[in-house]
Amino acid sequence: MSLVIIKQLLPHTRSLCVKFRQPAVCNIYSYSTKVTPASGSNNVLDNITDWETLSKKKKISKAMKAYLERAQEHDEFMKRQQFEYKIGKRHLANMMGEDPETFTQKDVDRAIEYLFPSGIYDPAARPLMKPPEEIFPARKAAEFDEAGRPHHFLFYTGKPNFFKLMYDAAENIKNLQSFEDKVIRKKASPDPNGDLNLNTSVWLTKDQLEQVLVENITDLEYDNFKAVMERLASLPYAYRFKEFIEKFRKPLSSQRFALEIPKPGYDSEGRAFITTYECLRKKARGDVTVKSPGTGKITINGKDLTYFDDVQSREQVIFPLIFTGMLDRVDVECHIEGGGPSGQSGAIRWGIAWSLRSFVDSAMLQQMQVAGLLTRDHRRRERKKPGQPGARKKPTWKRR
Amino acid sequence: MLSRNWRHLCRRYSQAVNFRTTENSPAQHNDKQEGLFYTINPDLCKQLFAHGGFPRSFMKQTKTFTETAIMVRQPALDLLACIKASDMSQPVIRYVLYGEKGTGKSITLAHLLHYAHEEGFLIVHVPWVSEWLRRVPRHKEMSNSQTHEGFVDLPLDAAAWLIHFKSQNQTLLKSGELKTSKQYVWSKRETTEAGSPLAALVEHGISRVKYACDVVDALIDEIKILSNAKQCKTFVAIDGFNSFFYPLTRLNTPTKRKVKPEEVTLTTSFMKITTNDWNNGAVVVTADQLAFPDDHQESYLPRYLLYKKGFEHLDPFVPIEVGRYSDKEFISCVNYYRDRLWLRGPPEIEAELKFTSASNPYRFMEQCAPL
Repeated sequence: MSLVIIKQLLPHTRSLCVKFRQPAVCNIYSYSTKVTPASGSNNVLDNITDWETLSKKKKISKAMKAYLERAQEHDEFMKRQQFEYKIGKRHLANMMGEDPETFTQKDVDRAIEYLFPSGIYDPAARPLMKPPEEIFPARKAAEFDEAGRPHHFLFYTGKPNFFKLMYDAAENIKNLQSFEDKVIRKKASPDPNGDLNLNTSVWLTKDQLEQVLVENITDLEYDNFKAVMERLASLPYAYRFKEFIEKFRKPLSSQRFALEIPKPGYDSEGRAFITTYECLRKKARGDVTVKSPGTGKITINGKDLTYFDDVQSREQVIFPLIFTGMLDRVDVECHIEGGGPSGQSGAIRWGIAWSLRSFVDSAMLQQMQVAGLLTRDHRRRERKKPGQPGARKKPTWKRR
Repeated sequence: MLSRNWRHLCRRYSQAVNFRTTENSPAQHNDKQEGLFYTINPDLCKQLFAHGGFPRSFMKQTKTFTETAIMVRQPALDLLACIKASDMSQPVIRYVLYGEKGTGKSITLAHLLHYAHEEGFLIVHVPWVSEWLRRVPRHKEMSNSQTHEGFVDLPLDAAAWLIHFKSQNQTLLKSGELKTSKQYVWSKRETTEAGSPLAALVEHGISRVKYACDVVDALIDEIKILSNAKQCKTFVAIDGFNSFFYPLTRLNTPTKRKVKPEEVTLTTSFMKITTNDWNNGAVVVTADQLAFPDDHQESYLPRYLLYKKGFEHLDPFVPIEVGRYSDKEFISCVNYYRDRLWLRGPPEIEAELKFTSASNPYRFMEQCAPL
């Protein structure tokens, strides 16, 4: 099981490695093939020594040579890893008693979780087995040809991809402006159904943009990126470059809820109900059933709101109902155990909010999302540390 | 400043919602007044409740509101109807008010006391039994009883109660129609002759604190005799009655022995008046969780609070539950608080308050305080 890699142990080698992917391979091959047809087509000049080609062939720059060596090394390494991964997967399939041919990555993850149960808090630190392409960071392809001449016209800026993006954006802005002029001159009206909806997505963050560009950028550069993209998006005909803009935007997570909202079931009285299981907060676990239409009856473990003695917990429970204005339109029934009052009330709050998704419109859903009602609170009690009286509390300072 | 007052005034009288009744006589209250507030005359209030009778938080509130307004609620109306309908020549009926903490048992009792006062009952009212048995201030006066072997006297408490009794029954005692039936000999020189007015007996207890407990005992006997003889009708109201049945009091004898409630002379006296071997009267007691220490407050039901002993002592009785506010009562209360500027803010908070306080009158009052 050498392939079961503890991610922690792997040093992050992205900065050391140059990106290596298919484009790199293509580049190299295209260069090697470029030469042969050139010599093949000139069969008239077969007997003539092509000094130019010869000298070109020999003139491989030192940088290219070093790169090729590194690329080959990496290539071999990846091949080895891939082979090991495949073997490992087959072993795993046999261990789990399943067919190795139809054993997918999903099965692998499940098997690893089963065979190496881990209580480590951070999921990133748990044992995993992934295809090597996912684990080893991608490397940048060779940016220059065999003669050491860069492919990219912005190579000497040091960040060709980033400046290419800026350049494209600026050019698009210019195009749009000239297009607008043209439209005005023709006295045409803008296309009504061509619009750009930017409400459901946000610009890529700096880290995400860096990953897309495979380049490190500074904060100032990121700000410039945002400024220029905002400007482009604000133009009236920006929808013409929708594709370009969408490339650098990420959909808001609330979109996710729209897809997953369950349809309510109907009980014997014909009332719609939704049950949310696994409502968690701190140590409290429970389930919440919301029934609509109702009269605002809240039942917690068979008691009403007086189950909680303090006002804060009661407020917590009714907050989603007040927020959505459904305080007297639904009935709530909860079973909750474990933890204390604040944990239990927090769990119920989340359960109610989660169940209410089926009974509110999308605008309210958006608001609930912004208000943080649909977010789980994963915080737990922090352990006490030895040598000090609490989790963070230090002993009273005393001179002596 | 003037404009603000003007604004408040305008707002106060622009509210058309009716939350007050002008019917200030409890005898006339009926279902029409349910959920409405009526005001008790301050002089009468002083006479009836000067020495206790309202919970402390309610007293504070009356001071803030500069009036004593009580809501006419269903349990009180039920009880009034029962008392009016009952046959006075039959043995007394015992009523037990019970309910969760802060639902208004004591206020209901106060309402009934007002009724009893208006109807000319002789009032035997114990504001809070735990005051005697469970509250131990620094100077708690205790002594072994001279007349009853193995019993404990609480002379100061007894004297204080006699003062309370005197002030509550001023008019009846002043008239002097109530006379003692037999002679009481307190010491060689001090005796109360047979046929002397009841007021003299009470006065003796107040001036000679040493004999206060014995006076209370004698007074209770006399009241029972007088009631049986139809000389007066008696209304007995005891708040926190279940405190008499809790296994231990917080009192210690000088020899550091824990005192049981049945070893206190006051307990025996008030046990006597809550039996049903007399007539021409009514007995209303409350069973309250607050009369017990925190770890014995699991249920508010009479069977739990009175223990088997108390339950059998009172049996048969009429249990009357004092519940939380109904919707109607809650709205009325909201309007009253808004009128008193105890509650302000947008109308949306009312629904929220209703849920957070769970319509519990006391919790509602507390939660409105900072608003």
